Amino acid sequence: MLPALRQAIAILLLALLPTIAAGLWHPRRPAWQSDEVTLPAAAAWGNTVLWIDARPDPDFAAAHIPGALPLNEDHWDTMLSAVLDQWDPRRKIVVYCSSLSCQTSRDVGRRLRDEANIPNVFVLQGGWEAWKKEHP
Amino acid sequence: MSRSTQRIIAALIGIILLVAGVLKALDPASFAIDIQNYRLLPWTWGVLLALYLPWVEIFCGAALLFHFAYRGALSIAALLFATFVIAYGSTRLRGLDVACGCFGHGIHRGYWPVLIGDTLFLLIILWLLKADLRPLSPVIRGTSSS
Repeated sequence: MLPALRQAIAILLLALLPTIAAGLWHPRRPAWQSDEVTLPAAAAWGNTVLWIDARPDPDFAAAHIPGALPLNEDHWDTMLSAVLDQWDPRRKIVVYCSSLSCQTSRDVGRRLRDEANIPNVFVLQGGWEAWKKEHP
Repeated sequence: MSRSTQRIIAALIGIILLVAGVLKALDPASFAIDIQNYRLLPWTWGVLLALYLPWVEIFCGAALLFHFAYRGALSIAALLFATFVIAYGSTRLRGLDVACGCFGHGIHRGYWPVLIGDTLFLLIILWLLKADLRPLSPVIRGTSSS
């Protein structure tokens, strides 16, 4: 059993080297700070927030946060131009999808950062469900 | 089952781990999001895991494929799969519907296929580990006096 433990420790230690390198230099390394924001925190930002609805079109059409703009990956190019028209560097973008478990808001947020070079992009924790809970 | 069959099975598992690790290592930012979606760890821990886990999988996979540090690699693989099965299994109980993040970001293979598949892998790895700890019979070793 002891050789197995020694071997396992050796593999785990060996894996640390590229990990450190990836943390320092990987072009796709994750940010150390979470981009998630709670609803009260986002609401406190007031009018500086530009809400982005990352849900599918029918969900957006049914209901959305007042003033929110639709932006999903199905019609990315056409919808992005409308978002860029509304955005200025003083505004914070908060992206939401349907609930805590959805991940489209993170994907849309990431694309806004990477492809549109928008720095202040956040993801609403709990998404539309969290908003509905506070605004029944 | 003979040692060579065990080695072939271990090598296949090694290839799976290698591929999974490389795909994650190419895009740790997306893997961090996949980890975050499990809602089990604070973001910073998720980032650390997103940077570290792919390389553990790569080294572990290579060790199984090329049969070095074999028992240690099997132990790590068992731990990785067991942790994943528990974490992924718990998502349904917690009302989450997440992509497993096993072979790149956002790939949905369905809850039960992933859970059953990875449980099977875990059982195979445990069996390989048990077989490796057990000494071979003289007949299989080829040292029988007959």
